[in-house]
Amino acid sequence: MRVPFLFAVVLLTPGLATPVAPGGVTINVRGADGKPVRDAVVTVHLAGRATPPPQAPGVDYVVSQKDIQFHPFVLVVPTGSQVAFPNLDPVRHQVYSFSAAKRFELKLYAKEQNRSVQFDKPGVVALGCNIHDQMTAFIDVVDTPWAAKTDAQGNVVLNGVPAGTVTVAIWHPYLRAPGNSLSKTVALGAGGVRDSFTVALRSPPRMGGDY
Amino acid sequence: MRLQLPRFRQLRTRLAVLYAGLFGLAALFVSLALFAIVERNATRQVQSELVATGTVFDRLWQQRTAQLGGAAGLLARDFGFRAAVATGDEGTIVSALDNLRRRMKVPVAFVVGMDGKVTGIADPKMREEAAQLWQAFDAGETSGVVRLGGAARHVIAAPILAPNLVGWIVFATDLDGREMQGLQQLSAIPIQAAVYQRQPDGRWIDASGGDLVAQLDSTVADGRPTRMVTHEGPAVALAKPLPAMAGAPRSALLLRYPLEFALAGYRQLQFGIALVALIGVLVTIVATWRMARSITRPITALDAAAQRLAAGDEVRVAVEGRDELGRLAESFNRMAEGIADREQRIRHLAFNDLLTGLPNRALFLEHLEHELRARERNGGTVAVLCVDLDDFKTVNDTLGHPVGDAMLRAIGERLCNAARHGFVARLGGDEFAVIIRPGEDDPVERLAQKLLEAVEPVLRIEGNELTPHASIGIAIAPHDGADARTLLKHADLALHRTKELGRRSFCFFEEALNERAQERRRLESDLRAALRRGEFELYFQPLFDLARNRIGSFEALLRWNHPTRGQISPLEFIPVAEETGLIVDIGAWAIREACVHAVRWPGHVRVAVNVSPVQFRKPGLSEVVLQALATTGLEPARLELEITESIFLEGSDATLGLLHSLRSLGVRIALDDFGTGYSSLSYLQSFPFDKIKIDRSFIQNLLTRPGATAIVRAITDLAQALGMETTAEGVEESEQLAELRHHGCSSVQGYLFSRPIDSIAVDALLAEEDPEWRRQRLAG
Repeated sequence: MRVPFLFAVVLLTPGLATPVAPGGVTINVRGADGKPVRDAVVTVHLAGRATPPPQAPGVDYVVSQKDIQFHPFVLVVPTGSQVAFPNLDPVRHQVYSFSAAKRFELKLYAKEQNRSVQFDKPGVVALGCNIHDQMTAFIDVVDTPWAAKTDAQGNVVLNGVPAGTVTVAIWHPYLRAPGNSLSKTVALGAGGVRDSFTVALRSPPRMGGDY
Repeated sequence: MRLQLPRFRQLRTRLAVLYAGLFGLAALFVSLALFAIVERNATRQVQSELVATGTVFDRLWQQRTAQLGGAAGLLARDFGFRAAVATGDEGTIVSALDNLRRRMKVPVAFVVGMDGKVTGIADPKMREEAAQLWQAFDAGETSGVVRLGGAARHVIAAPILAPNLVGWIVFATDLDGREMQGLQQLSAIPIQAAVYQRQPDGRWIDASGGDLVAQLDSTVADGRPTRMVTHEGPAVALAKPLPAMAGAPRSALLLRYPLEFALAGYRQLQFGIALVALIGVLVTIVATWRMARSITRPITALDAAAQRLAAGDEVRVAVEGRDELGRLAESFNRMAEGIADREQRIRHLAFNDLLTGLPNRALFLEHLEHELRARERNGGTVAVLCVDLDDFKTVNDTLGHPVGDAMLRAIGERLCNAARHGFVARLGGDEFAVIIRPGEDDPVERLAQKLLEAVEPVLRIEGNELTPHASIGIAIAPHDGADARTLLKHADLALHRTKELGRRSFCFFEEALNERAQERRRLESDLRAALRRGEFELYFQPLFDLARNRIGSFEALLRWNHPTRGQISPLEFIPVAEETGLIVDIGAWAIREACVHAVRWPGHVRVAVNVSPVQFRKPGLSEVVLQALATTGLEPARLELEITESIFLEGSDATLGLLHSLRSLGVRIALDDFGTGYSSLSYLQSFPFDKIKIDRSFIQNLLTRPGATAIVRAITDLAQALGMETTAEGVEESEQLAELRHHGCSSVQGYLFSRPIDSIAVDALLAEEDPEWRRQRLAG
């Protein structure tokens, strides 16, 4: 089961003089039809200032294969994270990615076999299975400490962002925009900021559909 | 405008034209209906074929789309290809596309990346066009017709998922004539198939970029096979809209079949129908013409016969068959016979005398004209003899009309027998006429004499013995007249001349007779004016009373002092006055004038006035007498009216009644000219005359003919016995007077005593005779 993964950053980068805005950045993402959009990755970069590197790469990032599906559909990891691809299915999978951020290919491996890949460059990595076309997942490798994906209500709250001008970007695999990404600059006050994105999504490519 | 059949002079033509026209019209309608059905069937067949072909095309399109889509899909999922695309390995991509083009036999294959980059097309312009397709692919469209490389092409795209969408692999096939030929061959009929694309200006141009231009909006909108006009003429066409990609012009497949091709197979049938219709019309014309002739021939014959009948000919038509026309011909013949019979009878009645059966005046004149015309051509002469019976009126009056009629019939027969070569007619009354052509050895005189002799033998009719006599007047053409009426008139004048000259003879017409007739007409008109102008005068001739030796009375005699011709004799104008009826007024004047004079005379002197039979016939005579007596105061007994026996010829009780009523006034009645004409003693018995005047003819012969004395003696004796006086007329010699006195004649009249004298001379005579009266007159 996919659980929205949130890694809230509480720690302040050493040497950072600016106080953290207590209200944080609250973003709501909705589709053109008004419905909340989940699995949209929201990242915040500081404008005019150097954005601190993300926290130290975590260890427990997992994209499992179960029921001929990747889980989770979208995974946000800081640069340099190691992600495990455990096969929980009774069939074999061949996980691959042609993405620029990370090109890899995990040769066929069977159930209970685990493979790990380290993602050391920021960017989106589209995951596929060479055997099962319908299997798709995305790993967003981020270079900022403030990144999370929307929950079922399309909400994301990013705390610990220093007040000032920040750039908020959203990414979604089906977002109808160049690079599947949109961004805007907002002013973050002491009380935090609350903003929203209305996006158009294309329908997921249907694999093996009729032509 | 009203449709009106031209008028034909012949029923046959009319029938032929009518029937042929009707048949032709029917044939035309049938032909048109068949043509329409044939054309509709052909059109329908083409339409269904087009629909079928359209359906086949749909299937082909789908198959092709599926086939190419499948191929594209396969390649899109090929791991290596995906890797090449995802990594932007252009060389690998191009080689892979080349390989695929050859394998799938598609002319164009390329890849459109998510960033719009086109790989696999060398031509920059075409690459630009291909890049435009990104929008449609991004919108999810994978198949459709676009304009690519200057032509309409069918593109099939498959997304390349690696695993996210990185681009599309696209195949484009041609839709040009070569591709369409395959479709055309699939159809049962040689359909023309072509893909058209709509230009922004609304025109549709051929997919292959050709120059064919058509208006297809409505055809495309219709979706069903419709008729349209192409440069090849009318055609049945079905336009199937082809799926167009977003941004691409609308496209349509136009399946077309020229109607001319569709109908080509039926041309022979249509020609056959037209030929049959034409032959039918010709056969109808010939048949109707022949049939109409059999109907109209009797009608034409009847028509001609009726025209001849109208012209007066005797006609009879041949009866053919027993149908209506046959019966009509029979009826016509009966009618014609009836008309001829009736015409014969009418003609007979019109031209023949009912009593004698001889031709009447009309036929006589017609025949005479005919004879005169013949004479003009042949020369010679034509004579007309008017034959009139003498004293026929007396026979009719005394013996009755039946006897008179029988006499006329007998005379008619006698004339016919006598004039065998002549034309005998009865002109009316007792007047007959004969036309003959006299010859050298057969002169008119001989025939006239023969006719006179033929008439004269004694006739016995109903116990009466009659001795007819006739008078004849003769006129001869050309000398006496050129036309029938003149000739007849002149013959009539000659007849009158004969009568004047003493009857029982014949006279030829002379121009003098004509002059006499004109003279008479002049006289008649003068006579009408004479009374008004006071040109009449009374003269008086004394009647000497032998018993008393004095003048007993004067006979008033009419004199006409004509302004230019002097005195005209009563013998000349009295007959004219009688014929014209003027005698009534003249006679009335004479009575009044006589009374005016007589009232001045001595009381014993009477005045005698002659009364014409015409006056007796007209009413008012007694009133005239009464008024004359009343206005003058003359004693009625001094007025004596002299009548002739001829008034009895009118022979009626009215005459006697009038005489009696005059007599009852006290007026005396004398019978004049006794002894001439049909003098009958029965008159003396029927009326008590006061006086009988013995005709002068007896007196003239009194001394020379022994019998005359006896007659005079007998008359005087008879008169004395009946208590009537007698007057002898025309006494000129004293010996006659002595003889008359001896026989006991009451009075005498004549030149011996005095010729007629005027009223002044009367006064002198009376004064001389009666000095006492003279004294009285002078004293008075």
